[in-house]
Amino acid sequence: MNAVVEVEGLSKTFRIPHEKRATVFDTLAGALRKNEYEVFNVLEDVSFSVNEGECVGVIGENGSGKSTLLKVIANILRPTKGKVTVRGRMTPFLELGVGFQPDLTVRENVAMYATIMGLSNGMIRDRIEDVISFAGLKKFEDAKLKNLSSGMQVRLAFSTAIQTDPDILLVDEVLAVGDMEFQQKCFEVFKRYRKEGVTILFVSHDLGAIRRFCDKTLLLSSGRQVAFGDTGEIIDRYVYGGEGRERAEKEGDSESSEGGGEVETSPPEAQRDSPENEDEIRPRRWGDGRVVITDVELLDKFGARGSRFNSFDPMTVRIHYEAKERINDPIFGIAIYDEEERHLYGTNTELKDHPIESVEGSGHVDLLVSRIPMLSGKFLLTVAVQNRDCEPYDWIDRQYSFEVVPSGRDAGIVEVPCRWAK
Amino acid sequence: MITPIHLRELYRYRDLILRLAWSDFKLRYKNSILGFFWSLLEPLLMLLVLYVVFSHLMKIQVEHYQLFLLLGIILWNFLDRGTSMGIFGIVGKPGLVQKVYFPRDVLIISACTTALMMTLLEFVVFVAFMAIFGVAPTAAVLYFPPIFVLLFVLVYGLSLALSALNVYFRDVQFIWRVILQAGFFATPILYPITIFPANLQRVVMANPMARIITDSRDSVLYGVPPAAGDLAYVAAASLLVLLAGYLVFDHYEPRFAEEI
Repeated sequence: MNAVVEVEGLSKTFRIPHEKRATVFDTLAGALRKNEYEVFNVLEDVSFSVNEGECVGVIGENGSGKSTLLKVIANILRPTKGKVTVRGRMTPFLELGVGFQPDLTVRENVAMYATIMGLSNGMIRDRIEDVISFAGLKKFEDAKLKNLSSGMQVRLAFSTAIQTDPDILLVDEVLAVGDMEFQQKCFEVFKRYRKEGVTILFVSHDLGAIRRFCDKTLLLSSGRQVAFGDTGEIIDRYVYGGEGRERAEKEGDSESSEGGGEVETSPPEAQRDSPENEDEIRPRRWGDGRVVITDVELLDKFGARGSRFNSFDPMTVRIHYEAKERINDPIFGIAIYDEEERHLYGTNTELKDHPIESVEGSGHVDLLVSRIPMLSGKFLLTVAVQNRDCEPYDWIDRQYSFEVVPSGRDAGIVEVPCRWAK
Repeated sequence: MITPIHLRELYRYRDLILRLAWSDFKLRYKNSILGFFWSLLEPLLMLLVLYVVFSHLMKIQVEHYQLFLLLGIILWNFLDRGTSMGIFGIVGKPGLVQKVYFPRDVLIISACTTALMMTLLEFVVFVAFMAIFGVAPTAAVLYFPPIFVLLFVLVYGLSLALSALNVYFRDVQFIWRVILQAGFFATPILYPITIFPANLQRVVMANPMARIITDSRDSVLYGVPPAAGDLAYVAAASLLVLLAGYLVFDHYEPRFAEEI
């Protein structure tokens, strides 16, 4: 296998001046003061190589340097340190419709964009009819681009872009735009490229897509290379390891702290003032306290505590309790709700026919989920312990949450175990 | 820099250069009723004004003064347009600079090519005028194409440097306008160089544009081949400007996408 993209010790630094000096006057006036700027390391010592025909995913939180990495590989930005070697014809899909001119006609724009993407005039002449009809814009071919809806423009850009036949393709979140049907089309095209042996570098937040398409994955965090290797392993590290997330958590990134560990571990009382529940006064915890739930842990397949899980992976719900006196025949239970607080599932030790004779002192009960059937989203968890007469010792209502990250492409909320036959 | 490898690279992008130049050319007149005709009317209207002012009020006595004036205006216009469009070659196309890769000088060549297309249209008018006034070119007209090529090189070299500087200092575009205004009067466009005393002539002729315009008139209108020394001077100046242009351009080019 020969490497077609080699990145060695790549670092990229942006200098962000506190006060931009765009004119000669600013520069002269500012020359007296100290030139202050922020040095921002977008990429630090990244090294990896991509072999011919491989599809490599790049994942990481926002601001981890994914897009900058693609731009450096595309030769749009130059490395501050290190080296990038690319062998073969490269096409970047960093943005659809680069160079579109609203005042030119559809036909002229297709020709323009195709030329920018590296098609020769002869190829454009042969394919322009196909492109326009594939985009479904035959009727509008002589209309000015500015008179088209933005959806039409994206369609046109996409059907033009896929006419290129590159050796190496750089894709940056192109799939994020557009509806389901458009995304489906994109996937088909990338599948075709893969079959043709095109090497693909693919930046995405869609871990399901990465898992399906990419042989290898690069995980970035704050510009540093956390891991590079087999996709399944890397995504597990990203989802379960907490790697590539420390920066976002520090900054209080809403996405990760919502589903983050703080929610589970913080005592329920602390959330009483949260604004979302102000209008609806619902007790969050009740019970006589003869058995107290001291902690609930969600454990991933490596036995580590976490709040993000791949769908279809195993998960363990560990309920820690403390009973001051001996309590006979307690029933432990859980319930799962979706984000709109619809009840999805509930079970307890009695329903599962797993009687617990008695509890005393502290200990824990595990609920073993062999396969998380939810496809993606955020879910709320109720944990409770009660007696046979349904009188709760301790009931913590919808105070724990976890997030499920998609692994496949099925649509909906939950997986229905099934297969096709004919 | 102008290495054989880079030239081959530019040749690979010839389709893009022409396509960019052509679409800019079309866009210029897209929403005007007279369209391409403005390209012809503009120098003619200018000619009319200047002709009235200078031939009647200032009593300049030059053989074929209309053509003398028109050729001067067309050549100066090429410098003016070429550099004015070139100066925005990078900052005017942020999408292309930040989202795709191709050699960045492609943008500058295409800007100069757009200016060239407009100038070619003006030459059509000029040829028609020559026919109307019954001025037949002699064999000396063959000197004109190489002179014009040198002018293109000069304009391209200036545009390279200006466009790169303009990414960092937006003042450049304003300063350059002032220089062009002054240059229009400091160059023998409205008047023949002979109105100056000999020692001042030498100063004025240090400007390569002065020699390009004077030599073009000599070869096209008056059937006089330009002096070899003149041509050598223009060639040296143009190539020097091209070289300097590339030095400046290559120095700033790596950070275009960040600074734009």
